[in-house]
Amino acid sequence: MKPTEFYETYRNRHQLAERWKREGKKVLGYFCNYTPEELVYATGAIPVRIRGTTQNIDLADAHLPAFCCSFMRSALDQALKGRYSYLDGVVFPKSCDMTRALYSIWKRNIHLPYYYFLPVPGKQTDAAVEFFAEELRQFKESLEGHTGQKITDKSLKNAIRVYNENRSLMANVYKLGLGDAPPIPGSERYGICLAGVVMPKEEHSAMLRKLLEKPPTAAPSKKKVRLLVAGNTFEEIGLLQALEESGAEVVIDDLDVGTRYYGAPVDESAEPFRALADRYLRKVLCACKHPAQARVERMLELARQYRAKGTVMVIQKYCDTHLYDRPWIESRLKEEKMPVLVVDHSDTGWVGGKFKTMVQAFIEMLE
Amino acid sequence: MESKQEKPTTPFKPARLASSAALGALNEKYYRDLAGAKTEGRPVFWITSMAPIELVYAFDGIPFFPENYAALCSSRKVAEELCRAGEARGYAQELCAYALCIFGSMFEKKGAFGDAGPPAPDVLLATQGACATHPKWWEAMQRHFNCPMVIVDAAYVVDSDTLDDRYKKYLTAELKEAASQIARYTNKKLDMDKLREVVAFSDRASELWDEIDALRAAVPTPISQIDVFTCLFPLVTLKGTKAAVDFYVQLRDEIKDRVDKGIGFIPNERFRLVWDLFPVYHNMRLLNYFAEFGGAFVTDLYGNAFSGRLNPSDPFGSLAERYLSFFMRSASWGKAQLYKKRAQKYGVDGVVFHSNRCCRCFSAEQPDMGNILRDELGLPGMKFEANMVDPRGYDDAQVRGRIEAFIEMLEARKYPKQKGG
Repeated sequence: MKPTEFYETYRNRHQLAERWKREGKKVLGYFCNYTPEELVYATGAIPVRIRGTTQNIDLADAHLPAFCCSFMRSALDQALKGRYSYLDGVVFPKSCDMTRALYSIWKRNIHLPYYYFLPVPGKQTDAAVEFFAEELRQFKESLEGHTGQKITDKSLKNAIRVYNENRSLMANVYKLGLGDAPPIPGSERYGICLAGVVMPKEEHSAMLRKLLEKPPTAAPSKKKVRLLVAGNTFEEIGLLQALEESGAEVVIDDLDVGTRYYGAPVDESAEPFRALADRYLRKVLCACKHPAQARVERMLELARQYRAKGTVMVIQKYCDTHLYDRPWIESRLKEEKMPVLVVDHSDTGWVGGKFKTMVQAFIEMLE
Repeated sequence: MESKQEKPTTPFKPARLASSAALGALNEKYYRDLAGAKTEGRPVFWITSMAPIELVYAFDGIPFFPENYAALCSSRKVAEELCRAGEARGYAQELCAYALCIFGSMFEKKGAFGDAGPPAPDVLLATQGACATHPKWWEAMQRHFNCPMVIVDAAYVVDSDTLDDRYKKYLTAELKEAASQIARYTNKKLDMDKLREVVAFSDRASELWDEIDALRAAVPTPISQIDVFTCLFPLVTLKGTKAAVDFYVQLRDEIKDRVDKGIGFIPNERFRLVWDLFPVYHNMRLLNYFAEFGGAFVTDLYGNAFSGRLNPSDPFGSLAERYLSFFMRSASWGKAQLYKKRAQKYGVDGVVFHSNRCCRCFSAEQPDMGNILRDELGLPGMKFEANMVDPRGYDDAQVRGRIEAFIEMLEARKYPKQKGG
């Protein structure tokens, strides 16, 4: 199994989903790290993450102002072009303001059989977890109504086990980056991460097992500068390749389809709804729900563990909650003697050359 | 009403409200009280819109609304400098300009009046009632001021028919928790009688505001949108005080008198419009440009975002209900429903959408809202882009051109016989 096969799978995600549909399976789209996918999986439906592309936006501008993030504009554009017509529905958790707003825009303009808006509290208190657990029970009922499949204690526990297993396999993939010569480049690992959100978890896990059985051996090369890449989300994998071509090794990330998604298992010994609520509210550290301080501490811990010598923060333009945290995170990292390069990103307007010039200077400074 | 409006040559100025003097006095007193809060031993709360201001007054505190203050900075033409100062600290230009302006003021110790700005907060009080960015903004201020922060959380519901009792229960508990945190931080005890009194004043101010809003349905409409925005100040900042109630009694009486006498704020009302959503604080006169063509704004949702009825015998429960029924949280079709009701009641000819570049939260759904109103009510709309606070990048000539084209279209629709003379 070559690591690049994952990214190929990701790139073929629409064809794959269309195939599952022909096989009679249900495919449910979802946004963001706050959708407890285990519940969707427990119905037998395949949860797939809604993603954008790097292509031009043609149709979305009639429905969404241009001063919104390229991810949401692009995802909507793809949907308006019919790329997501195979979906049996979409789940929108209340995370950022855009996810909230896009719920109504999708629901009005993309005709799919099912839409669900999942209220997610903004705090992590016990009361919030209790409230969210109840919210998840309502979500379960709604899913059962839509799919016609009962979610039993057994099927839910199985889903949690399958997801945890995938998380633990991914943790092993990340651990390959701990050594001096990581066998899988960060750009390829990002492809592995991306594949995992658009295919059934047990299939992703099977691929991961094959990969981990015989991980590629790193070609001996000159020592590279170890980096942490942090931010929200991006489609432009060329961004990570450019870092690698400039002499960096992206050994670890704090990205939404990265360690924030694959980290933290669900407690299998606790009552499942309570355990899901606890994991999703307390352990997924996105700027839209968590203060910058907790996020910085996590970043520093990752950087320490993976011996990162510098951080590249890639934040999507117009991503409000991350942009509020950025200046302070940058200053905190510098206080901790961690060099930081801050990059504004837009998937639809990315200029590789300009980016490369920036990162080359940064990496030379670190060398 | 009969002749076609020509392009105006002199800028329109609406007749001044007699109540303006009282409003000016309230404003002055508020800023005096705010400046003297520390010497009087009154805690200063920096609070978000939609936060339970009633708790602030119940604890004898003084609320300070950074949003309101940024608007003031904008109208006093110091917002651009302050926003730039916020950006110089690494905050992106696309962030909420209210926040950028306050960051600038906070970092540079510069205020709206050539002074050092507002007194530092003793407590920061925030909600997620309006937008998800409020807590992030407040968090940044907490790091700067290193003072206690209270956040009132509520699960966000976008379809009001999915609201059930759990939401109220969770939020009521959050509000009570906020009260006990405030008691701890200010070293004061919550006086329930005082809270009930504050809640009663708050309810009465909202009731009066709703009456004023209903009076705007008169033909011709009695009060300009500029006056409505300006007169919001007590409903935002003094809600829960007797002073706000007294002011709105006076304002209501003045508006009612205009209605009784058939006086409109413009002499020749030809088009009745709705404004969505934020004012353009650095260019409030833009609203007058519509009046020059006989265009009068007869209602808006922004102004009504700050009114909400309460029940003094159930302060916490009714505060929770007000918060949960906040219509700005509803999906586009919920907001469009409100516009539909109003369009009929107020006899609306068109909607003007201010697409606020720095506010994704409330601008994202505007195109869809416009489509709903067009498709379901045949109501035409126009859209223009601006930043509510920061004048940079605003193209006045272009916006005015759009307004002229919009008015021309409305003219052809409403007065077709006069087309072509």
